[in-house]
Amino acid sequence: MKRQVKLFLGPNHPGMHGNFSVHLYVDGDIVEKARPLPGMLHRGFEKLMERRLWMNNLALIPRICVPEPDINEMVYAMGVETLAKVDVPERAHWIRMIILELARIANHLMSLGGIGGPTGLYTGPNWAIADRDLILDIFEEITGARVYHMYIVPGGVRKDLPKGIEKKIENFLDYLEKRLPEYDDLILKNPMVQARTVDNIVLPEEVCWELGVTGIGLRSSSGKPYDIRKVDPYARYDEVEFEVPTATYSDAYTRLTIKYKEIQQSIRIIRQVLDKMPKEGPVRARISRGSALRWRVPKGQVFSHIECARGEYGYYIVSDGSNMPYRIAVRGASYPQGLLGIEKYLPGTRIDDVAIWLDTMGVCAPEIDR
Amino acid sequence: MNFMNNIIEDIKSRFNPENTEIVKKNQIAIDFKNEEVHSALAYLKSQGWKQLTILTCVDWIKENKFQLVYILMNWDNSITIQVRTKIDRDNPKFRTVINIYPGAEMYERDVHEFFGVEFEGNPNHEKELFLELWDDLPPMRKDFDPLAYSKKKFDVREYKVDFIPKEGEAE
Repeated sequence: MKRQVKLFLGPNHPGMHGNFSVHLYVDGDIVEKARPLPGMLHRGFEKLMERRLWMNNLALIPRICVPEPDINEMVYAMGVETLAKVDVPERAHWIRMIILELARIANHLMSLGGIGGPTGLYTGPNWAIADRDLILDIFEEITGARVYHMYIVPGGVRKDLPKGIEKKIENFLDYLEKRLPEYDDLILKNPMVQARTVDNIVLPEEVCWELGVTGIGLRSSSGKPYDIRKVDPYARYDEVEFEVPTATYSDAYTRLTIKYKEIQQSIRIIRQVLDKMPKEGPVRARISRGSALRWRVPKGQVFSHIECARGEYGYYIVSDGSNMPYRIAVRGASYPQGLLGIEKYLPGTRIDDVAIWLDTMGVCAPEIDR
Repeated sequence: MNFMNNIIEDIKSRFNPENTEIVKKNQIAIDFKNEEVHSALAYLKSQGWKQLTILTCVDWIKENKFQLVYILMNWDNSITIQVRTKIDRDNPKFRTVINIYPGAEMYERDVHEFFGVEFEGNPNHEKELFLELWDDLPPMRKDFDPLAYSKKKFDVREYKVDFIPKEGEAE
């Protein structure tokens, strides 16, 4: 006998990534219809940004994405610098890359370990969160804050790196490199994870183009290195060598493997940055005479974008020449896969695959909701 | 830059854009008239701009216009194009682009909810996405006042302090 049941997944659920909800219409354990329901944490970032000074916004924007807050600061700073024609000092570019790559590793660790939640492998998140904490220690030393750093500002970075931090970062990278094979054994080679992810929730390439999915979803299905760091380099990504891991068959397992490989590449980037960066010099350009709080940004409209761990992340910034933004629109990287992706590609899968999709596609609720 | 100029020339030879601009490295902005937007988007899609990155709206309240901004990304030559058009603010209606970019469906619902723009042809554009039970002006419009809304909507609560300081403690 066929009987459809409506099931609420989230907003409070261990397999749910943030304050997000999905209504599932299931028959047995097969999803027949899925309806994403954002709007659980509406704080109205875009509206709030219109009512704050250009510099004050820096305290607000990292809160859009908790696992990787620095991308917001970077993309905002890049847009404002374009409009105001600010030249960023050389050393600041390299410091920004260290911060962004560390944040990227932290996010990938959380998501790689996070697959343990939906698959019942609870050692995964335990290890990953503990290792992420070591990155937060480094952030605390550099910026004074653990999660929301407000470190990358228009014109450069807020202050120079503390003495001796390079050594600490190197030690951490050495540690992580030794640790990664253990993650491989624990998660990627684990028969339990493999049984749940191999050949599961396959994402074809046409679907990525149709929905606008970027990041790991697009790279793992198209086999091409579609990464903003390569395609439209910012900071000094064109001066370091790294590879963009790709694949031509995008099941959940492939996407997990790519995350693992991307951590290795981030380690490689940070090592080169530490090696190549100018050892001293200014880290912040002077943006205005007098107070930065009275700073006015010239008229203009610009879209600035960077690559975050979940795909292309962008801010559309409109200035009417005043001391506050006229309008800012946030393009959350997980918007396409988090809304239309759920609606179109979850029907037909099992209930327990929903959380695996959310994890491997990197759906971050506040980016969608704002 | 030369390559970007070629793109602009190509667009100018096919359409009548009101304004073109090179915003920064690898980024072009083109303003179209309303009726040309769909054919321009379809043409750009055939030329490699396969991804609609975002559709958003800007409320130019002094001009009494909404500006719709379609941002397209071409991953093969790394050029981003902003396709912009202005529509009437009093009667904000525009034809949907989901037949060209299916991913626009959610962005259109988003813009409808936050600005009140109607997208004709999008079957779901009136469904609530973020703001359940919203009963005021669309909140991202410039004439919506969040402070007045929250004063109207929520009571001012009186805070009663039941802490009685002991001797030597600060009040």
